[in-house]
Amino acid sequence: MGYKKIFSVALGLTLMVTGVEVSGVFASDPPPEGETGSVAVRLFLTEGAVPANDPNAAVWNTIEPAEFKLAPQVHWPDRIQEVTVKSVKVRGVHNGEDMAILLEYADPSEDAADAAAVEFMVGDKMAHFAHGQEMLQVEGGDVNIWYWKKEHGKATNMTARGFKTLRPQESQNVSATGAWQDGTWRVVFSRPLRTGEDLDVQVTPGEWRNVAFAFWDGEIVDGDVKEKGSQKAISSWWYLRAEPPPDNSIYGYVVLGIVLAAGFEFFLVRKIRRGNES
Amino acid sequence: MKGPLAKTAILLVGMYVFLKFILPLFTAPLPASLIFLYLALTFASAMIFYTMSGGSLDEFMGPVGRFLTGSGQAGVAGTARVLVFVLFPLLVGWQTYTKLAPSDLPPAENRTIHPAPPGEFVGLANPYPRTPENIMMGKGLYAAFCSPCHGANFDGKGPAAVGFNPPPANFSDPGTIAQLQESYLFWRIKKGGVGLPVEAMPWKSAMPRWEVELPDEWIWKIIMGEYDGAGQSPRTWEEEE
Ligand code: HEC
Repeated sequence: MGYKKIFSVALGLTLMVTGVEVSGVFASDPPPEGETGSVAVRLFLTEGAVPANDPNAAVWNTIEPAEFKLAPQVHWPDRIQEVTVKSVKVRGVHNGEDMAILLEYADPSEDAADAAAVEFMVGDKMAHFAHGQEMLQVEGGDVNIWYWKKEHGKATNMTARGFKTLRPQESQNVSATGAWQDGTWRVVFSRPLRTGEDLDVQVTPGEWRNVAFAFWDGEIVDGDVKEKGSQKAISSWWYLRAEPPPDNSIYGYVVLGIVLAAGFEFFLVRKIRRGNES
Repeated sequence: MKGPLAKTAILLVGMYVFLKFILPLFTAPLPASLIFLYLALTFASAMIFYTMSGGSLDEFMGPVGRFLTGSGQAGVAGTARVLVFVLFPLLVGWQTYTKLAPSDLPPAENRTIHPAPPGEFVGLANPYPRTPENIMMGKGLYAAFCSPCHGANFDGKGPAAVGFNPPPANFSDPGTIAQLQESYLFWRIKKGGVGLPVEAMPWKSAMPRWEVELPDEWIWKIIMGEYDGAGQSPRTWEEEE
């Protein structure tokens, strides 16, 4: 086969592959969020301080919340079949340094033992949402749990990898403030995006993290706390991302792509024209 | 021939180094698919420019070439030609934009729903006879342990089904247990979500590992009750052949 043939074939193939690649823009988008609620929490980028200790800060009302349904924990004894907190609205902001996450949920009564928790997957190893419980075919990683309880008046930064391993961390870098009003809890958690601690989730703007939630209704019923320990409202993993700062380099690339494509057309036509003339 | 070949190669390498290593020094890196697209365009341009005589290209492109050069075209064909010329670069620009535009969508999840079971679970047969008593016992256990998630109607809509991603399986759907053998269910129920291999994303599954609490006998009977209640029958070995 002569060079020309080979080149013709190579050119044809290249054009075909390019065509397929370019036609990728017509591929359909992933399905929209289902009836089950949101799939991700967005931490919006703001300037200035994040409302770290203020569940009622004005900025929260400007943010569209993500909403997640919650299920009673029906698996591990002691199980529970019916829980008070049935869904949670989640809002978030960050300023490149610190983040604040607001959980808003209905709970008819304000009780000392009311509690809320946010759980994150830590590092590169996947961890099961149930306290990083052991998986049989995959080596699991750690989870980082931020726990707030009304009567503590603060957050506890915890870690776990499997059952009975849940414990507070040495580094207590999470703050939390709760405010109850008219049957609604608003609890805001706050922490620097990055902490340098191996057992903490590190949040990098633009990257996705896994997040889950848990709630306990601390109402006293017949002399006992209604929901405690494994009796709680839970979710499995959903996604969380701190919004990256806007990136304008994209327009440069768009221009580059257009120039390359136009150049290609130019060479093609000029060559064929010359051939026809000769 | 040697000259143009070398030139094309140098151009490509230069372009690659530029896109892959130089540009990221100043801005965000390009995804591999865009680098590929740009290289393909460069390659095609270079080949046309350096290596092909106009005549052979004309031969190769045939009517497409005549269409593109516009020789002797007027009216509709002429307009179509201009359109193609304008649209192609725009398409490439658009492609670049969609590839680079910050996406609000979480990573796509390609979860394998029915991965291969571990060898020790392949081909096990239910050791208990399908008697009304056994089925009844299975349904009772199902009601106690499984219905909160999988639903009293076997439709995956139990009161504890919300909040989980992926959601509990809907056994009345022909896509779940009707496709599976009893031995497969035995594995899934015994080992739960945490028993799944990596491609099935075990860290996301809320399906409990029931071997911790339920004896094998109960699990086999639950399987009977589950098929009966959902109005499905297990896939058998013969069907598998
Ligand atoms: C806490 C909720 C929960 C409970 C309780 C539960 N399951 Fe599940 N189950 C799930 C979820 C979620 C899935 C889907 C994810 C997966 O396949 O692991 C599932 C999947 C399954 C599957 C796999 C179906 C398929 O098509 O691959 C079977 C079989 C099953 N469950 C049986 C049972 C049985 C039997 C019980 C009671 C002994 C039970 N489950 C209890 C949540 C639950």
